[in-house]
Amino acid sequence: MADSPQEIQKQVKKILLIGAILIFFTVVTVALSYVELPSHSLNIIVGMILATIKAALVALVFMHLNHEAKLVYKVLAFTGAFVTALFLLFYFSNIDPLVFKDF
Amino acid sequence: MDIPYTVTARPDTGLYNAKVGIWLFLASEVMLFGGLFSSYIFLRVGADYPWPVHELNVTLGFVNTLVLIGSSVTVLLAWANLKLRNIAKYKMYMIITVLCAGAFMVNKSFEYKAKFQHYSVTLTDGTILTGHLPHGYEIEFGDVTTLNLTVAGKHSAVDADPVDYVLPYIKGEAPKFKTESGEEIVLDKASFTKLRAEAHEKAVAKAKADGLKETPNWNIKLTAASPITFVLPPSKLLAKPVAGATAIAFRDGTTVEGKMINDKMTLEVDGIDLRATPDKEKSLAFNEHYLGEPWKKAFIDQREHAIAEFNEKYGDGKGGTTRDPLKSATHQKHMFFVPIHSATPEVHEHAKAEGEHKAEAHAPAEHGDAHGHHPEVHLERQHVHFFSNFTPKLNSYYAIYFTLTGLHGLHVVAGALVLGYFVVFNGRMLREDPERLANRVEVGGLFWHFVDLVWIFLFPLLYLL
Repeated sequence: MADSPQEIQKQVKKILLIGAILIFFTVVTVALSYVELPSHSLNIIVGMILATIKAALVALVFMHLNHEAKLVYKVLAFTGAFVTALFLLFYFSNIDPLVFKDF
Repeated sequence: MDIPYTVTARPDTGLYNAKVGIWLFLASEVMLFGGLFSSYIFLRVGADYPWPVHELNVTLGFVNTLVLIGSSVTVLLAWANLKLRNIAKYKMYMIITVLCAGAFMVNKSFEYKAKFQHYSVTLTDGTILTGHLPHGYEIEFGDVTTLNLTVAGKHSAVDADPVDYVLPYIKGEAPKFKTESGEEIVLDKASFTKLRAEAHEKAVAKAKADGLKETPNWNIKLTAASPITFVLPPSKLLAKPVAGATAIAFRDGTTVEGKMINDKMTLEVDGIDLRATPDKEKSLAFNEHYLGEPWKKAFIDQREHAIAEFNEKYGDGKGGTTRDPLKSATHQKHMFFVPIHSATPEVHEHAKAEGEHKAEAHAPAEHGDAHGHHPEVHLERQHVHFFSNFTPKLNSYYAIYFTLTGLHGLHVVAGALVLGYFVVFNGRMLREDPERLANRVEVGGLFWHFVDLVWIFLFPLLYLL
């Protein structure tokens, strides 16, 4: 953690900059949602990519995940694994062992 | 006792203790919301209706996004100023953060309230009418002379309680009632308790005389001095009455016989959704007793306009289109969802351009509709398949919308309480151990950023895409 006054002043500037970038991306997300891309799935993908960039900025800069103690990353590795599993449930649901293919 | 490592880092973890705590908590929070986002995907992929896109108030959602991003910045500025010991600025930024949380919740409550008051009515042919029910949905059932009460012999969920479940729905004053023994009574808590005790006594005596193991139910008949009319929402009945019902049962098991006077639903229509109607031009909505020919014409105009626009945009010059019109949700909505803003149809831009109905287009609705800007229809009971306000009951989209935004809203409230607590109650710590308070603010801030992070995904998923 940067603790000297100069470092903190520097951080404040960075915070304001990131805040402005986040607002910019929000405006872009709203505007793009009104543009019909070749398919609606593409709209969803682009929207989610923008949201992920915003979320990454919040996590890395606002939550200082760009320079954190190792323990935090270890904890988050577990979360990452479980959340991935939660999202894969959707994929697994396509494979239903109770339904026989040739039935 | 001193709590260890509130300011300095613990050597083995490299963190002050509260930070380990908040990250463990946030790790579990990610999984909580992750599970709900996963259900969102399930529900969306499995939806058997057009998934609502841009159906919520985008402006409100956008403003709320700005409010949350802003408050994420101010909570960091508060922390930085506390580190620099600019106490006045620290306090100011903390208060702005809490006020932002308040603004977010006020916006949210406007949004929720509008949804609670807005209704969607699915007709039997699949057409959906949206709008407002000016008095809620109430039926009128009249010509009732007798109340048949059933006093349950043993403890039961359905047990006669006419004072709470029947009397409130009588139109006008409740008349006097005659009991089976010919006594005239005013039905209220006291007189019913007496009646009930007598009935129970008789039931017990009968059980004894007949050698029954259990006390049987006992019926009480009350004859009204003058015929009664009931006005009530069907939800107050045990079962929805069928069209032309000659008897209804209240939720306490009391039944009455009479005549259905009016079971029509009065709806101020603000939208016609024909996407699920097989034969759109023959939709029940355009029935002469409902919206009629003028709106049917408005629909056909709108559809033609949408098709022309689509062909212009995606036409390949050979009479076809570069895009499958069946796969464009936007095009489907432009063609088949007719928003209604006036009591009579406006002439469409498209038709106006042809210069035919110019004068008509500017003429205001002259019918002097007391309800203002929306046509009113009186729907027959047998034409209504399902109706609900825009709550989780309506469809899985609103179910997940309320679950996700409700849970997120609770997080906003919790975050505001914690941050507010630091400003209001941690004055002594601010004077004596500001470094420790700065760590508290940092940890509270981490939670606050997480709340912001969830919203960053919620806003596009629910409002935009």
